[in-house]
Amino acid sequence: MEAVQSIFSGFAVALTLKNLAFCFIGVLLGTVVGVLPGIGPAAAISLLLPSTLRIDPTSSMIMLAGLYYGVMYGGSTTSILVRIPGEAASVITCLDGHEMARQGRAGAALGIAAFGSFIAGTLGVIGLMFLAPTLASFALLFGAPEYFSLMVMSMTLVTYLSHGSVIKSLMAAAVGLILGAVGLDTMTAKPRFTYDILVLRDGLGIVPVVMGLFGISEVLLNVGTSTPQEFLKGKIQGLLPNRQDWKDSAMPIMRGSVLGFFLGIVPGLGTIIPTFLSYGMEKRLSKHPEKFGAGAIEGVAAPESCNNAAATGNFVPMLSLGIPANAIMAILLGALTLYGLRPGPLLISENPAFFWGLIASMYIGNVMLLILNLPLIPVWVQVLKIPYGVLYPLILLFCLVGAYSLNNNVGDVIIMCVFGVVGFVMKKFQFEAAPMVLALVLGPMLEDNLRQALIISGGSFQVFFTRPLSAAFLAVSFLALVLPLFKLRLRWMRSLL
Amino acid sequence: MTKSDRWTGPLLLLFSLYVCVESTRLGLGGISRPGPGFFPFYAGLVLAFLALAQSLLSLLIDLEKEEAWENWLSILFVVLAMFAFALFLDFLGFVVTAALFLGSLLRGVERRGWLFSLAVALLIALASYLVFGRWLQAQLPSGILGI
Repeated sequence: MEAVQSIFSGFAVALTLKNLAFCFIGVLLGTVVGVLPGIGPAAAISLLLPSTLRIDPTSSMIMLAGLYYGVMYGGSTTSILVRIPGEAASVITCLDGHEMARQGRAGAALGIAAFGSFIAGTLGVIGLMFLAPTLASFALLFGAPEYFSLMVMSMTLVTYLSHGSVIKSLMAAAVGLILGAVGLDTMTAKPRFTYDILVLRDGLGIVPVVMGLFGISEVLLNVGTSTPQEFLKGKIQGLLPNRQDWKDSAMPIMRGSVLGFFLGIVPGLGTIIPTFLSYGMEKRLSKHPEKFGAGAIEGVAAPESCNNAAATGNFVPMLSLGIPANAIMAILLGALTLYGLRPGPLLISENPAFFWGLIASMYIGNVMLLILNLPLIPVWVQVLKIPYGVLYPLILLFCLVGAYSLNNNVGDVIIMCVFGVVGFVMKKFQFEAAPMVLALVLGPMLEDNLRQALIISGGSFQVFFTRPLSAAFLAVSFLALVLPLFKLRLRWMRSLL
Repeated sequence: MTKSDRWTGPLLLLFSLYVCVESTRLGLGGISRPGPGFFPFYAGLVLAFLALAQSLLSLLIDLEKEEAWENWLSILFVVLAMFAFALFLDFLGFVVTAALFLGSLLRGVERRGWLFSLAVALLIALASYLVFGRWLQAQLPSGILGI
């Protein structure tokens, strides 16, 4: 009953004209970012972040959160129409979505993606509403060892589930941990790896680093590789899915939502991997698996619902534990600290108006997105026709201004540029940036908890294994590290034969 | 794994050894009272171990050929333009630097006409000044020209 009362007070916060406006700006920008292939949610949120510092925290977070789940709506549009995923969580939608479009069923595909996203987003918010406060009160029992082990688990999971080489992902995470140590040591105030450079004293700012790794590097990869885009000719008709479409998609949407939400909660999983699992599950459950890849509506409905539910699920550990599930949540976590809020299990009980206002705004935002998406699809198609050669100088300029206005300091701009090059080189050499960012954010927290736990236990590592929760987290991490070794061995032996 | 891993492994190994040496200098402290260098030292050690494994593996496994580096001149141009932006921003002021940045990219990389590049660059620079500087009230530098 308490949740019901609280959510009404949340609506009172979210329904003010100001917060409605911020919610609208957020979801609108999110959709645009989702539609445009060159720029992802991480870059967009970091871009917007400096300008939100002057607004109150609740409105800011309403807008940034709206941007994040708005991206999940917009991403499907390009996947379906031009077979280019607007952002990574819509990669799998390309398979059946674009095939449907080629068969003249683009309208139904876009429609089911929007409705599926709406249903999943709303279910996800309900889950978030009930789960986050419960988890937060449970997390009050966590001590330094539990936090340490939980963070180790999220880092190993993100490497275990990465697409490329596990060793490379682990290396990226290790580099992230080292980069996280840059700046003044929290316990002794001794400068580490700062080389008398003033901007490094407070550590590497997460925002310029992420803007570089995800924004700038993406642009650098796209520069010059101008693949002529193939546009769908003719008008898009019939956005409303018919009765048969609904019958085929109802269960996949429900399954995708549930799967996405629960996978989204696990720190380290993000939104991309759940969509692949959801697609695979539908294919296995289907009575006609041969239709997958040839324009099956289930292949659009399930992953598109899944990524929305996962995006909402991502907020659970961020808001209740102060632990980011992926790079974007890491930025939002950084934003919370910049706004002067203290992330962690007390966040919800200390700032009820903030938390419930945010939750209520998510219900509203999902309705806005549904209304926004269906009639505006022709507009998005036009947006896609802006030549990239004109678009990317603009994206770069926005990033440069964004980095500068963080602290009115050129130092942050240089950090961003350096990490833009680093991110580009990493992508070229097939290193993943996500584990590095996660480690960079978790690093300082990880270090604090490790040192505290060791001081309390008098230098005994046993404390991590004798406390049951901590031991469980470490066991999962161990499995995530060991399982790929067996795969590697098999592949290695095969390559020798 | 790709051919580049033959030398990214050793390179990261060198980096990790450097981190370990620096961390020792910062002070490792005891295990019951870890010092400032404790955490980066062990992170460096883990990296060293991984980099070593990577280097050895790259000698044993058949490596794939990686994708070619296309348009690297354009990419270099863009990177240099960004660093130039950072260097000249405080001196020349936002509007001038932004216009130069956009113009050089449109003309230099995208090979648009002089007139088009100039007009679009000025227009966007002014518009972004209005949006960021005036509307969002970011403190953009005005530089020696005072604009």
